[in-house]
Amino acid sequence: MSRPPLDGIRIVDFCWAWAGPYGALQLAHLGADVIRIESAKRLCPSRLIPPWPDNESGVNRAGYFNQYNQGKRSLTLDLKAPEAIDIAKTLVSKSDIVMNNFASGVMEKLGVGYDVLRRIKPDIIMVSLPGYGTSGPEKDFVSYGPPQVAQSGLSALTGYVGGPPMMAGFSYGDPNGGVHATFAVMAALLHREKTGQGQYIDLSQWEAAIMLLPEALMDYSMNGTQPERMGNRDPHMAPHGVFRSKGDDRWVSLSVRDEAEWQRLCEVMGQPELSSDARFASLATRKENEAALEEIVTAWTQERTADDATQALQNAGIPAYPALDAIDMVNNPHVGARDYFVELEHPEVGTRRHMGIPWTMSRTPCEIQRPAPCLGQDTDAVLTDIAGLSQDEIAALREKDILT
Amino acid sequence: MPGALSGFRIIECGEMVSAAYASKLMADMGAEVIKIESPHGGDAARQRGPFPGGEPHAEKSGLYLFLNTNKRGITLDLEQTQGQEVFQRLVKDADLLIHNVHPKHMPAAGLDYDRLATINPGLVMTSIAPFGLRGPHAEYEASDLTLWNAGGLCFLNGGGPGTDHLPPLKAFGQQAGFTAGVHAAVASLGALFARLRGGLGQHVEFSVQECLMGISEFGTMMASYAGVAVTRLGHKPIQPLDLLECKDGWIFICCVEEHHWHSFVDLMDNPEWAAEPIFEDRLKRGESWDALKLLIQDWVKDFTVQDLYLKAQARRIPFAPVSTMGYLLNSEHLNARGFFVQLDHPEAGNLTYPGAPHICSETPWELRRPAPCLGQHNAEVYTELGMTAQDLAVLQQAGAV
Repeated sequence: MSRPPLDGIRIVDFCWAWAGPYGALQLAHLGADVIRIESAKRLCPSRLIPPWPDNESGVNRAGYFNQYNQGKRSLTLDLKAPEAIDIAKTLVSKSDIVMNNFASGVMEKLGVGYDVLRRIKPDIIMVSLPGYGTSGPEKDFVSYGPPQVAQSGLSALTGYVGGPPMMAGFSYGDPNGGVHATFAVMAALLHREKTGQGQYIDLSQWEAAIMLLPEALMDYSMNGTQPERMGNRDPHMAPHGVFRSKGDDRWVSLSVRDEAEWQRLCEVMGQPELSSDARFASLATRKENEAALEEIVTAWTQERTADDATQALQNAGIPAYPALDAIDMVNNPHVGARDYFVELEHPEVGTRRHMGIPWTMSRTPCEIQRPAPCLGQDTDAVLTDIAGLSQDEIAALREKDILT
Repeated sequence: MPGALSGFRIIECGEMVSAAYASKLMADMGAEVIKIESPHGGDAARQRGPFPGGEPHAEKSGLYLFLNTNKRGITLDLEQTQGQEVFQRLVKDADLLIHNVHPKHMPAAGLDYDRLATINPGLVMTSIAPFGLRGPHAEYEASDLTLWNAGGLCFLNGGGPGTDHLPPLKAFGQQAGFTAGVHAAVASLGALFARLRGGLGQHVEFSVQECLMGISEFGTMMASYAGVAVTRLGHKPIQPLDLLECKDGWIFICCVEEHHWHSFVDLMDNPEWAAEPIFEDRLKRGESWDALKLLIQDWVKDFTVQDLYLKAQARRIPFAPVSTMGYLLNSEHLNARGFFVQLDHPEAGNLTYPGAPHICSETPWELRRPAPCLGQHNAEVYTELGMTAQDLAVLQQAGAV
């Protein structure tokens, strides 16, 4: 048996921008047939932003879209037309899962809310993942991934010592909301397989992001205190940071988790006497003298490349890794050797390197079968094979400008 | 009403966050999770806190309490022969074994899929490893910080242009662990679904580094499509998307689409500068952000966060407060959705926890029990395995439990 786990599972994907598409990408990774409904009349923002190869823009040339829509199909439909809604309903009747990350209420206004869709397909699993969820006094508020980082509480907790709040990632709320939605969908799919029962899942991206910071939330819950921003430091480890290495804006990260690792670090740095220095003899004193400690570590790291420092530290069993930038990432020899990258021929951008699937399965292999679709690339195939329309019917819809 | 994952039996060998978060998500959806901890102090998360009054206590760590709701906890030394025998009996009836034991220590802990599959051919085993199980860096040691760097995310954050004296900045907390955990949970459920449809068990290998590279946003695509390394020192391509200071705190101002910007300009009462060609579209505003930020900051400073947030949202502009923990716990919206839950724990007492980020119409999420005390369910679980009090005493004497 070599079919992927979700072989034969179909998703009607109304998602756009990033959160929803990232969630649906995980289902495509698991082998589902993900049909993205798009429209040239209201293009997905991810088709409109750089980077583009050779800086030449084009809806099928955006790296952002092409990364996060690998393995999916694209159907163009103008959902403002009643005929398009009928087609969407027909597709739902032959599908397993419906996903959307529109603002709350948009699907209902389009006439494809859960109450309608469950009558068409009683065991359908539908997930909505608006920023605020679909209930509560702020349910109609609008959101994107970047503001979720602030709203979740992560920004207030992230930042240099004594500095202002900062961002974590760029749009971290998006992949996080998307993948949490996918988790709930997968649980619902297992439940359906066992019981035959579908359901509706209301996921709040805001709440999904709050799941990421229990240490702070529980601190407030226990003690009423808001943790201070501490840069790259850690309350239970020292040294713990990102240190300058040789080269222009090159850095290496390292963590010393216990006393044995501290002693080994001193040896690696050629200063074994430091481990008995009263300023650094215990975690408590290292925390008290952390600035001095970081200067000593920097004096050692800045004489070496990040790779050399990493190698020396790893040889001593100390967690360390270069602070990779994106160029480093796409050239990383380790993930390269693991066949993580995906380079499929795309009709408009050729062969570009994309990030692949972070897991492997020994019996039901997961593999990206096709690059991200060009806009509307699969319209005819989906309408013919799944919706059961004839060539004449498709031509008539096209004539009425519904398939764009 | 049973949860979506009721009836699934999961064994977790988790330290800190990734495997524990994955199995927490499943436990909260109804799965029956048994967490195995070392008899020598248990999961390291017990030592991390936060603690009530800042006093370390193995049963009162806020991180541990959150990550291990709805699980039963046993102690078992996997590196002892007797411990291994018991482990194999547990695995025999399990649907999923999920762990984040470092690849170097997997053989000694008996985490050998081929061998376990002979005991239970239906077993799904998910191995979450910092760099995967193979490849030149597979044996590297890692921390949440080094993984955030290995996944390229740290390099994205920091002070912006002109702050090259400051290092790339990690996000608060254990973000590599949480992100890996939820993704590994998705993959694990995928493998369970394949098995439910007539397949056998299998080994799922998961790389935290690859998972993080996969969410590194503009970064990797800028590199592979444009040959550019995005850093904390550069300008964001589109603006406004930034944190600004109000009179009582910080706000995130956000104009992703042109209509957001037009509405915002209108909210600002159409200042003359807003019509300047250098602010004409979101890409130009990205290029001119240093100038534009000063102008907007000057306007923002006279508002309270809440006032500006509500005014912007009333015009459908996606601004957000820079929430503090107190703001979250007091949020009318979150409380109306029932996001926070109270849970009583025998040692840590009654505390407020974040609940579930989703509301499922047919399979409600619930907190059935608090995180286990160390070894709390030894007698219960070992009795279910058919062991007598005497057997357990022997194991205890051998130090295996």
